[in-house]
Amino acid sequence: MQTIHGYHRPADLEEALALLNRSDTPTVVIAGGTRVAAGLIQAGEVVDIQALADASISSADAHVSYGSLVRLQDLIDSEDTPALLAETAMREGPNTLRHTATVGGTVAGADAESELVAALLAHEATVTIARPDAQVDVPLDELLDDRSLLDGGIITAVTVDAGGETASARTGRTPADTSIVAAVGRVVPGGFRLALTGVGHHPLLIEQDDIERLDPPGDFRGSPAYRRELAAVLSKRVIAMLGGAV
Amino acid sequence: MKTTFTLNGTERTYECAPHESLRTVLRREGFFSVRFGAETGETGSAAVLFDGRLASAEVMLAAQADGHTIETIEGLNPPRGLHPIQQAFVDAGAVQSGYSIPAMILAAKALIASNPNPTEADARDALSGILDRETGYLRPVHAVLRAAAMLRGDEVSPVEPALIEPLVPLGGSPDMGAANSPLNLPPLAPRVIPSPEVPETNVVGKPERKVDAIKLAKGHPAFVDDIEMRGMIYAKMLYSPHAHARIVSIDDSAARALPGVHAVLHHGNVARVRYASGGQSYPNPQPYDQVSFDNKVRYVGDRVAVVAAETIEIAEEAVGLINVEYDVLPAVFDENEAISGNAPVIHDEPDMEGAHDAANNIVQHIGAEVGDFEAGLASADRTFERTFRVHQVQPTPIEPHIAIAWLDSDERLVIRTSTQVPFHVRRMVAPLLDLPVRDIRIVKPRIGGGFGVKQEMLIEDIVGHLALATGRPVRLELNREEEFISSRTRHPQTITFTSGVNNDGMLVAQRMRTVANTGPYGTHALTVQMVSGLRGLSTYNCPNKLFDCDVAYTNTPVAGAYRGYGAPQALFALEAHMEDIAAEMGMDALEFRRRNWTKVGDPLDVAAELGEGAAEMKFIPVVTSSGMDECVVQGQRAVGWQRRYDPAWLQPADRPHIRRGLGFAMCMHGSAISGLDMGGASLKINDDGSFNLLIGATDLGTGADTILAQMAAEVLGVSTADIIVYAADTDMTPFDVGAYASSTTYVSGMAVKKAADEVHRQIVTRAALMLDVETLGEIELKDGAAFAPDGRSVTLEEVALHSLHQDDQHQIMATASYVAPDSPPPYAAQFAEVEVDIETGQVTIENLVMAVDCGVPINPLTSAGQIEGGMVQALGYGHCEEMVLDESGAMVNARFGPYKIYRADEMPKIEAYLVQTMEKSGPFGAKAIAEIPKDGVAPAIRNAIFNATGVQIDNLPFTPERVWNALQTG
Repeated sequence: MQTIHGYHRPADLEEALALLNRSDTPTVVIAGGTRVAAGLIQAGEVVDIQALADASISSADAHVSYGSLVRLQDLIDSEDTPALLAETAMREGPNTLRHTATVGGTVAGADAESELVAALLAHEATVTIARPDAQVDVPLDELLDDRSLLDGGIITAVTVDAGGETASARTGRTPADTSIVAAVGRVVPGGFRLALTGVGHHPLLIEQDDIERLDPPGDFRGSPAYRRELAAVLSKRVIAMLGGAV
Repeated sequence: MKTTFTLNGTERTYECAPHESLRTVLRREGFFSVRFGAETGETGSAAVLFDGRLASAEVMLAAQADGHTIETIEGLNPPRGLHPIQQAFVDAGAVQSGYSIPAMILAAKALIASNPNPTEADARDALSGILDRETGYLRPVHAVLRAAAMLRGDEVSPVEPALIEPLVPLGGSPDMGAANSPLNLPPLAPRVIPSPEVPETNVVGKPERKVDAIKLAKGHPAFVDDIEMRGMIYAKMLYSPHAHARIVSIDDSAARALPGVHAVLHHGNVARVRYASGGQSYPNPQPYDQVSFDNKVRYVGDRVAVVAAETIEIAEEAVGLINVEYDVLPAVFDENEAISGNAPVIHDEPDMEGAHDAANNIVQHIGAEVGDFEAGLASADRTFERTFRVHQVQPTPIEPHIAIAWLDSDERLVIRTSTQVPFHVRRMVAPLLDLPVRDIRIVKPRIGGGFGVKQEMLIEDIVGHLALATGRPVRLELNREEEFISSRTRHPQTITFTSGVNNDGMLVAQRMRTVANTGPYGTHALTVQMVSGLRGLSTYNCPNKLFDCDVAYTNTPVAGAYRGYGAPQALFALEAHMEDIAAEMGMDALEFRRRNWTKVGDPLDVAAELGEGAAEMKFIPVVTSSGMDECVVQGQRAVGWQRRYDPAWLQPADRPHIRRGLGFAMCMHGSAISGLDMGGASLKINDDGSFNLLIGATDLGTGADTILAQMAAEVLGVSTADIIVYAADTDMTPFDVGAYASSTTYVSGMAVKKAADEVHRQIVTRAALMLDVETLGEIELKDGAAFAPDGRSVTLEEVALHSLHQDDQHQIMATASYVAPDSPPPYAAQFAEVEVDIETGQVTIENLVMAVDCGVPINPLTSAGQIEGGMVQALGYGHCEEMVLDESGAMVNARFGPYKIYRADEMPKIEAYLVQTMEKSGPFGAKAIAEIPKDGVAPAIRNAIFNATGVQIDNLPFTPERVWNALQTG
């Protein structure tokens, strides 16, 4: 049962942060709002940032910056978007969802099976978070490891290094199924930046040599041992596609 | 709070609560085309255009829409007729139940607006957010492309059947040369292989527009929930959190005290009346092991209590206030363990009726033997045995169960419900409510899919109890999670086939040992398993057959009817077993089957032992028509069967981890329950020469209303549009058992034909009077008129006016009913092409081809749609759908996504062929078609994986880890 009993649409960031940081009212931020409206995230009150957040995409110095309110479909359709981000954003869900869900919401949700989040890791994403006292840039991998960095803050932008050849591989029950495990990779100076879904509580940056030490959680779609096997197989494929030795 | 947005071009301001979805508000304001499918939004049935983009109104707060532009299909609808996109969907045969069609049409509109020249991939993506359990997506996808062409101003051809030359001449051998030459046919054209035995017809056999096309394509109010009832209150169920427990006490005082609550019902205040919930003919098969509310719960999702309140939110809050004390008992989930003698007893209540051995959780034991199995096996040159396990799945109609009940002005109880069996529901609900049948009216409006799960009295007793208790209209709609956990599922089974085969490839003995899992209630337990035995042991000839089946009570969700009704389980095991035997004997898999499959004139001897109507069967039925040979060859050509023998194709050089394979499965089903299923029809003429056809048959979206109208039109020499169909209202229409057992075309169709024949006789009599013709047989009805041999004619309008107003007045009308003495089997050949990733176990289905002999398809367009949609449901069964329970018996994936059904953007190629035969016992030569598409996909995939990898997998579904494990050990 959805429990939302208050809706706010602040006009500016300051007001939004004030609403979000009230001590007496459990409040969550919504951008697309699909998971909150579905009851998948329980919220007492919601702060809808559609009036204040940035929905633009900008490109400079081989970096692309996405306002937090950029819809996934807009990310896909942008000529500035690196191919891996477009490909993985397509896999976040069907078009009904992609027209609503946002870049900021996807990063904030950090679903363990999100290939887009994995691709952002591969693209060295930095997350800009506005807080009542400051605005900070946090590397996405650090944010995923320490979710408290987002407490009381609002994601305003996500910036990626757009360069580098990329590749991906995945295994699912059906072609459009959420992958049981997916691997994405990107060529960076001196090697590869490899990220995996389905092997941890959030998408992970990983070194190839560390795969055997993974301890993935299992579910009915894949046991821990099977996921570890997939991680090895799919990572090898990605690296091979990128011209690396396996 | 208020939300203001531009809705279909007009700025509107509505009240809304902060938690309310945009769908809720739109429906409250009368925009009924925005329909519920899942509280988490995955079905897309509530999709609207949000600032011109397709978005789910289910998972968008109404408040979020403030300041935006919303478009629903009501904004697209012309005052009369259809928008070109709607026309394209209708022409393409993309409309079945129509529940989600408004969303699909909006998806098409948005796509075409941004891209007037979409590709098939674009169309698939446009529909990717709208789940469809009915069409298989092929027709909707191509309807989008057709709509784009129409809006570009391109000329589009009518969707007509592609007539294909038979490859098997009557009494001859297949033309295998032609079979290796692929056809290139338009995707929307129904593929029909005509039979020279079929006479020419004018309406029957034509791709007529569905009679309900307008209301469905335009999203008009047509479904259960599409009405406004003043004073309606809302019901919410409390379900058991335990798999097995006694209810020690229920304290409902806090719930009752909550303002806005009108009733709280549970075992303490509802009469204990035993029943079986399966919607079946009188007397319902035993056991009678359910009551409306019990003092014991037997699965996670079992009924505990229900609340009716002013709003759904109050009802939900009240449910949370009911304090139930449980004595939790040990539970058992596996069917074999349940009947081992060491399992907890699930039904220990003294008043339970009709279980075979309740103390050992055996609800039914079914045995049937033809010949002498043991002797036959002993005589066989070779013997084979293999055990298979099939799993639990949910039908998941996009419209979940919903019912609204109220007392009319005569204080009779009206239940408007999404059911396949309105007449059974009326009879079955009466004793539970302590009402005579005459005081109950069941109304079935349009239904958003059923697939068997609505062949059940699932919630009608609850809304009946509440309406009687409160005097108010009461609405109960299951949400998606509730539909998963508390409705009905396909029976899991453990099946062991043992076969004796002589060296010449002839079966001489076959035994099917089945242990089935019905969950804690035996609804359909007897008859589903009987059909399993029937299909498992009558598809192939064999002189010595034995069916040995136990049906187990367990604490899993309840099994029941699901399209296919026991056949998909049996045919998975049978067709895997037959494939393996052929491989072990070094025989061609098709030739081995061909030697053994039933042919015209062969007896279906097990049918006299198994089946609901077996007791009434006066003779052993024989096969009277079969197009199996033609089906196989057509399917071989379509799928490219010769590649199965090409090593370079089986192992593509550029992808070393991929193996390819092709698989086959034979399918055989039935057409109704012979001697038992009855359909009725009433037909009367109107002043203008049109006709009202009143039928009890229940169109679930299959097109049943349309094909029945076509049959009437054919007899009367009019067009389908001259037949106005009203269906399935227990006060208004003749009795019909309802939509199940593939009976509507064959049984209800014959009832319609009989009624039409009598109306034809009355029209001819009147026309002869008007034309002064003495010999009635000389009058011919065609083109809406009655013609004398000399060419003079009177229109049917003139006939109607004459008979109703002018001379010897008489209402031309007739009522007829029909019970089929036989159940002629449709046959089919199912083919599958797969790719297997041998490093990960991932199986990708590339192509599904099914060629079906359904006799004469009354409407090739709807028939093709039935096959395509059924194949895709069957694909889910074999490939990715499964209900997963945790150790406590709770379903862990009661949501679309985790419970995976196919989307439009991931569909393999699918193709359906209609092989005509003339089944003389059926109306216009028809047999059934609705269920057979469910039977062959899983075994065809299994056999294709075997072909690709050499690994035989005997459990469903073929999920990556299961296949990977098999590859490691195989």
